[in-house]
Amino acid sequence: MTRNISNALHSAIIFIVVTIFLFLIGFTTTGSELIIKALSPSIAKTSEGLEIGFTIFISLIGFIIGLVASKREEPDTLGRNLVAGTIAGLISGVVIGLFGFLMGTLIENGIDLRGYLQSVSPDSMRKIVFDQPPNIGALRLGGIILLSSIFGSFINSTVIRAEWRKSLSTSVSESSTADSVRKTASKLGANQGFRMAMMAVLAAILIILPQQWGSYWNFVMGTVGIYILLGIGVNLIIGLAGQLILGYVAFFAIGAYTFALLTAPAPHNLQWNFWIAVGLAMISATIGSLFIGLPILNLRGDYLAIVTLGFGEIIRILVKSDLLTKFTGGPRGVRDIPGPTIFGQSFSSDVDYMYLIIAAVVVTAFVANRLQNSATGRAWVAIREDETVSKTTGVNSFAYKLLAFALSAAIAGLAGALFASRNQFTGPDDHVLMVSINVLCLLIVGGMGSLPGILLGAFTLKGLPELLRELENYRLLIFGALLVVMMLIRPEGLWPATRPKLEEKGKSIEAQKGEPT
Amino acid sequence: MSMTKSSVQPIQKPWTSGRVIRLVLAIIVIALLLWRLYTVLVVQADYGPETWVRFSISGLIIGGMYALIAIGYTLVYGILFMINFAHGEVMMIGAFGGYFIFELLSSIVLSNGQTFNDANPALSIILAFAAGGTASAVAGYFLERIAYRPLRKAPRLILLITAIGASTFLQNAAMLLFGPQRRDYTNPEALTRGSGWTVVINNSNVTLTYTGVMSFVLSIILMAALYYIVQRTKLGRAMRAVSQDKNSAALMGIDVDDVISKTFIISGLLAGAAGVMWGIHNGLVNHYTGFLPGIKAFTAAVLGGIGNIPGAMVGGMVLGIVESVGPAALGLDFQLKDVIAFTILILMLLFRPSGLLGEALTEEKL
Repeated sequence: MTRNISNALHSAIIFIVVTIFLFLIGFTTTGSELIIKALSPSIAKTSEGLEIGFTIFISLIGFIIGLVASKREEPDTLGRNLVAGTIAGLISGVVIGLFGFLMGTLIENGIDLRGYLQSVSPDSMRKIVFDQPPNIGALRLGGIILLSSIFGSFINSTVIRAEWRKSLSTSVSESSTADSVRKTASKLGANQGFRMAMMAVLAAILIILPQQWGSYWNFVMGTVGIYILLGIGVNLIIGLAGQLILGYVAFFAIGAYTFALLTAPAPHNLQWNFWIAVGLAMISATIGSLFIGLPILNLRGDYLAIVTLGFGEIIRILVKSDLLTKFTGGPRGVRDIPGPTIFGQSFSSDVDYMYLIIAAVVVTAFVANRLQNSATGRAWVAIREDETVSKTTGVNSFAYKLLAFALSAAIAGLAGALFASRNQFTGPDDHVLMVSINVLCLLIVGGMGSLPGILLGAFTLKGLPELLRELENYRLLIFGALLVVMMLIRPEGLWPATRPKLEEKGKSIEAQKGEPT
Repeated sequence: MSMTKSSVQPIQKPWTSGRVIRLVLAIIVIALLLWRLYTVLVVQADYGPETWVRFSISGLIIGGMYALIAIGYTLVYGILFMINFAHGEVMMIGAFGGYFIFELLSSIVLSNGQTFNDANPALSIILAFAAGGTASAVAGYFLERIAYRPLRKAPRLILLITAIGASTFLQNAAMLLFGPQRRDYTNPEALTRGSGWTVVINNSNVTLTYTGVMSFVLSIILMAALYYIVQRTKLGRAMRAVSQDKNSAALMGIDVDDVISKTFIISGLLAGAAGVMWGIHNGLVNHYTGFLPGIKAFTAAVLGGIGNIPGAMVGGMVLGIVESVGPAALGLDFQLKDVIAFTILILMLLFRPSGLLGEALTEEKL
């Protein structure tokens, strides 16, 4: 029984902290707005609508408290589950209710916390007690949490854990259906005709969509495309060769600035041809990577990460500094970067840029994919898995790492050039450390070393925030939490890379050898 | 974190081409540096001695803070072999802890019309350091419990990514909580920024600010206390044992997880103290306060030899001085002082990855 209570207490405390944190960063209001918008957009703006949204939000939290508190009850009976849910709901209801009471009292006495806690608006302080006097509102708040927590534990016992108990007995057949689905999929994948058909459909979509969905979506998807490019590039060095590079943005910046300075009218008035400038942007990013990679690539892991991070910062500070203002435009950046031309025709509408980015993504994805499946790719993977062993088997690890680094820098240079050209502007603020962390994040979320994973990660991290504009402020917070949670729960990513076939075979032979027959 | 000198003789390394190239590069870099120093200091000689004293003083003050943060990196690196990337953020949390205590105390008005802050400067400073240290220690403890402990057996790349995630999370949580604007520390009147003892050198006044002197003295005291803890107490012995070999330490009856938790608490305390010093001395704090000092302090830890506590102290001081003297001595713009710090990091890793005082790291640790 004591373990019982301590479990409930544990989850109650965690959720109390989380709830209060969510309130303090203003997420309760945003969350309620989102919920009510999804349920019924017509009353979303009204005050009752917000109240209903907040009630649902709070009940959801209570529900989750109940679920989690009763998750690990040992004799899995309805009574035990309910007791755990009630205890957790009671504790968190009382504490959160008290917190609501405190907030309500503060705002009744006209104390505004915004001077210190900027996200706590007087409105949200009134909302947490449902616009009522603090004592009644706090009771209602605590009551909702208690009731929904009991409900949560009830659902956990009657639906979720019941399903789980049932699935224990039928798990064999279920796994076989999953297997058959996967087998059909892989069979279809192996079928040449089917693949060609899929390619044709995909190509048709990629050609038609940019013309249809308007300039806003072209802009958003263009950004996604550029991040896919960055992801493909960084995947070579982080995902395949296993070397953590944090200053990836440096090469993005070098590419963007080379391109911008060569084509823009402002600081130098060179106005070179677009395509030559893109090529030179890639080359200069590659040279930059060799310059930094030659001395440091024999360092391992953590050092490499920090050194490249430092390099990225050096590039940004130098670009911004007075020393180079004449050369790079300083903090104001480079403006009026012209678009590309094909045979004298301007090729710079939003649709054209979308095509350009898609073409760049397809080409780099193709090259990266071929590399990944070649001897070079296997050498990279060998280095990632164990550098010492790969060295003893004759892999020139330094040369391969340098190759991966240079290639990924070239791709970053290309992405930078496209980015600068599309925005018609590039400045030091486009090249902050956050870009590197975003790219790392999309790689981690999608799955290291896997191309579909990169696409998935880029759409999730760059496309989704555009859909959920309300969450814009919380984007980086969620990124950070996502990085930690992914590492704790699913370090291989949402769409992990598949192991090469030969490797799998070797494994199964080994497994057979190990098992006594 | 080994304090004793290794009795093993270093192996004579063969002269590979890489080593020769590195040596040549080192000679070129040093020659360039000397030439630049000669032109700026001897040929141009724009600055008199009083300027150099000013720069050195501010370098020592900032170096003390770097050293305190760097010790946190080094302690954690010595035990877990990971760069606690979120350590700068831990310092930022401490800075906010001190900020809120000062705000609270300066809002209390005593009967004689003074605020509590101005009436009892010593007490309010002690309270601010206590609050900042506690906030950072709690942050460090939970950081380890939630983010790092479940990954004890995971590859180090995964740990580092987790640390980057934690850093991003903490930074943005602070921004959402307290807002992106910079907040001004309300120092007690006795510690007004910029005021201090005046020394006359070469017919011009050099100010030894009270805040700077306090920060420097306090950082020396804290470092001495830490050194005592590591060398003389049971906890310190346990920490050294865990840093040498976790399994053997566990076999000797040391609770490894507990020691790791305490390491994070100690490094959090030091970082929090550095954060409050940062606030008192420099004045402005916001959610981004911890980031650059964090990376600089890591540079300092590498400079001194990571995993080596005296190394972190020396590295912090050296980095602080180089950073404030360097731009003037090399005739560069002061915007470029961060570039100097990062360049030192790269050069150090290039020519002497084991640091100024460091032991030669084994493959496993490097």
